[in-house]
Amino acid sequence: MAYQFDLSVIIKYLPLFLKGVFLTVEISFLAILIGLPVGILAAVARTSRFKILNLVGAVYVEVFRNTPLLIQIFIIFFGLPGIGIKLSPYISGLTALVLYVGAYNTEVIRAGLEAVPSGQIEAAKSLGLTGVQTFFHIILPQTFRISLPALGNNWVALVKNSSLVSVIGMVELTWVTFDLNALTFRSFELFGAATIFYLILIFILINIQAFVEKRFLYKT
Amino acid sequence: MFDFDVIIKNLPYLLSGVKFTLALACLVIILGTFLGMILGLSKLSKNFLIRYPANLIVEITRDTPIIMQMFFIFFGLPALGIRLTTFPSAAIAMSLFAAGNTAEIIRGAIDSLPTGQFDAAKSLGMNYLQMMIYVIIPQALRRMIPPAMGLFTTLIKDTSLAAIIGAFELTRAGQEIIERTFRSLEIYLVVAAIYFIICYPLSYYTRKVEKQRVTGF
Repeated sequence: MAYQFDLSVIIKYLPLFLKGVFLTVEISFLAILIGLPVGILAAVARTSRFKILNLVGAVYVEVFRNTPLLIQIFIIFFGLPGIGIKLSPYISGLTALVLYVGAYNTEVIRAGLEAVPSGQIEAAKSLGLTGVQTFFHIILPQTFRISLPALGNNWVALVKNSSLVSVIGMVELTWVTFDLNALTFRSFELFGAATIFYLILIFILINIQAFVEKRFLYKT
Repeated sequence: MFDFDVIIKNLPYLLSGVKFTLALACLVIILGTFLGMILGLSKLSKNFLIRYPANLIVEITRDTPIIMQMFFIFFGLPALGIRLTTFPSAAIAMSLFAAGNTAEIIRGAIDSLPTGQFDAAKSLGMNYLQMMIYVIIPQALRRMIPPAMGLFTTLIKDTSLAAIIGAFELTRAGQEIIERTFRSLEIYLVVAAIYFIICYPLSYYTRKVEKQRVTGF
């Protein structure tokens, strides 16, 4: 039995696909946005002089980096109701993605914080800046510049990982594809199309990142 | 509340899943490294007929979710008459992903070597093969180890995705127990702990190797 290729199915269901793409973009964008302060906070904890903060940061990073994201999503969505915390698929998925990318961001930002020359901090002190001022005006901007390429890698991984929230029923690109597949059985065309959608998304993200890098990185 | 009995009773079943997780991870790492080496060297080729297809494969495998690639192989390929069961589908999809990433690591490591090394090898009269075997690869290998080990950790974690298409491994074992017992929190926490036990030594060692390289190369 020969399989007849039928691309009309893609065109017919394009609006549904685009809805899925939109939710993928939305949840990825939110996770990127919220994951950044999470990473900064945890990185500050990791580099702090207080042993307890240090330990909390280390445990957070190690636990979330060394367990699969899929299991983290399952624990948040299926496991937490067992102790009375019920979250919607959207919130569960987003929380898991934020915590996961946050842990990866932490390591990147920590390396960035450590790479800021100590002369910068001494100069800030001698100018009479307070600790908070030094952090926000001197250290953080330089850290961001140093960390940006590695953060970009995390973001690309995040867009790909956002496909996993489909398993708890979020109607994003992967879920839409899977659903259409059950409806039409046009697996080859549908998964091919979804692959191309992801490629386009990642391509756009990489280019935005390259643009930002060029704009801010080499302008010292 | 928290039920420890269910954990102890089902631990053997989870451990039988671990066997498949480790088998899948090993298979993927071996196949992925082998394919990745071919792809990585093709990417560095001067012949564009070799370089372009290699680039395309690497980009597609790196820039799409593994779960999509698994779906494509498991649900999509039967359309072409290629029917695979769950475990081989997962293994092939993940090996391709591993190969794409390994290729990038190899290319990155070789590109990062000073051009003087290539020139020196050539001026000593070495041919391409000799240059690669005696001069380039031994040096590039040292630079590949930390990112490759990071990739292996990721791959072990990502074997959990095979459960989505129904291949039996640790995550699927956990799901089956939950279908029977309804103790999601306990079982998933134990599953997470097992993954942690497997992955943590690897990522700890990776960091150690990275530090060594910074200080002692």
